[in-house]
Formats: sequence, C-alpha cells, structure tokens
Amino acid sequence: MVHFTAEEKVAITSLWSKMNVEEAGGEALGRLLVVYPWTQRFFDNFGNLSSPSAILGNPKVKAHGKKVLTSFGDAIKNMDNLKTTFAKLSELHCDKLHVDPENFRLLGNVMVIILATHFGKEFTPEVQAAWQKLVSAVAIALGHKYH
Amino acid sequence: MLSAQERAQITQVWDLIAGHEAQFGAELLLRLFTVYPSTKGYFPHLSACQDAAQLLSHGQRMLAAVGAAVQHMDNLRAALSPLADLHALVLRVDPANFPLLIQCFQVVLASHLQDEFTVEMQAAWDKFLTGVAVVLTEKYR
Repeated sequence: MVHFTAEEKVAITSLWSKMNVEEAGGEALGRLLVVYPWTQRFFDNFGNLSSPSAILGNPKVKAHGKKVLTSFGDAIKNMDNLKTTFAKLSELHCDKLHVDPENFRLLGNVMVIILATHFGKEFTPEVQAAWQKLVSAVAIALGHKYH
Repeated sequence: MLSAQERAQITQVWDLIAGHEAQFGAELLLRLFTVYPSTKGYFPHLSACQDAAQLLSHGQRMLAAVGAAVQHMDNLRAALSPLADLHALVLRVDPANFPLLIQCFQVVLASHLQDEFTVEMQAAWDKFLTGVAVVLTEKYR
C-alpha cells in the first residue's frame, strides 16, 4: 500500500476542494486527446475530434472527462486503500475496455499540468510531488487487476 | 517533423523564457529533485546541498541548451551533437529519465503561464522536448 504523509494529504485535498471537477475533467481528457493523439483510439464514437478546439468543445469528451475525474475524487477519499477502491474499475478497463495502463500514466501527468495552470505559484515542487505520487498510485491501482 | 504552427508555439513560449534561463532552469531542477528523488544521483554535486547559486548556474546551462535547440529546430542532430556525445559517453543518463524532466518542464511552463498555457503550446512543447531527448540518447548504442 502506498502511504501518504499528513502534509501530502493536505496538499492534495486542499487543491481538490478548490477545483471545478466537471470542467477540469473535460480539460484533462481533452488535453490528453490533443497532446497524445493516439489515445483517440478509444473514442471512435465520440464524433468530431478533428482539431484541438473541436476536441476541447466536444460534449462527449466533456461528459466523459467529468466521469473520469469524479471517479478520481473517490481516490482522494480513499488514499490509503487505492487498490481495493479501484479493483472493479481495473477489471473493467482490462476485460471490457482493453485500455493500455500506460494511458493512466499519461492522463495523470496531464492532470498535474492542468493543476499547475490553475494554481500557478501555489503549485510548489512539494505540492507537485504529492500529486504526482497520487496519480502514479491511482495508475498502478487501475492496472492492478490486469491479466 | 514540426508543423509551422508547432514551430510558432515553440518560439512564442521560448520568447517568454529567454533572458530568464537561470531562474527557469533552477526551478526545473528543484522540481525534478523533489518529485523524482532518484534523479538526484545524476547530479551529485548539485543535489547534496541544493545550493541556490549552483542550481541557478546549472539550470542556466540546461536552459541555454534548450534555447539552442529552439534556434535549430530543423536540425537538432547537428546542433546537439556535442551534447549527444556527452550524454552517451560521460553522463549516461538512463533514457527513462527524460520523460520525467519533460513533465517537470511542462509544469514549470504551466505554473508560470497559467491560463495562457494553451493545449497547443503543451502539445508542441511535449513533441519538441521529446524530439530533443531522442537526439540526446541516440548515440547511446
């Protein structure tokens, strides 16, 4: 189990409480699809993904991004128990969705960059470290049930 | 392999960094060491005391090299050849570390530019820096 210190938990929860999860979710997924275009392979039925503005404005991207980030909120409530929290989602991503776990790492890194744009100087190296630790642990938890 | 728009994004962002290479470079190294402590092993002289002056000095050197890469975007191999030799023969930084540095670089840009760090800038710089990393590790074997 990954252990988060009290300081790391504060760094994570205090920023999370200030975030607009719905908007940030759409932005995170949208940026993933633009910066790493091969990730679009999972979203053939999402409609217009032909340009950055099309992707970021796409309602299906926004809706799915919101779903993903809301689920991330569960991670934050269960930081000491990520593997159990994400067991079912891990099975889903392996058995039904066939998503390469590398994509979880890419999305996590994009989320960190978005946090940096929102919080600026407040996103210190220590705060970044706490968040990179969290996104990395979530990625591992989501890959844990793969077989 | 960079489009005209990508080149424009790269030079636009570089214009904001130019003149402040030391400051950006020092922050980059500080983030790298804080977020990815295993990278400190490659900078024994720097990471032990994390003296501000040394971080600024080394940061300046690293960002100056990025600036050279920006100047020669169309011919990275020639422009970065001496640095590629250095990394292959002397430094031998495991290639897995370059994505870590690139992530920290993006975070530095994002935290300074905030809302102005558009998705197009992020995409162009990710692609550009990845290309630089490829050139720097190309002579490893």
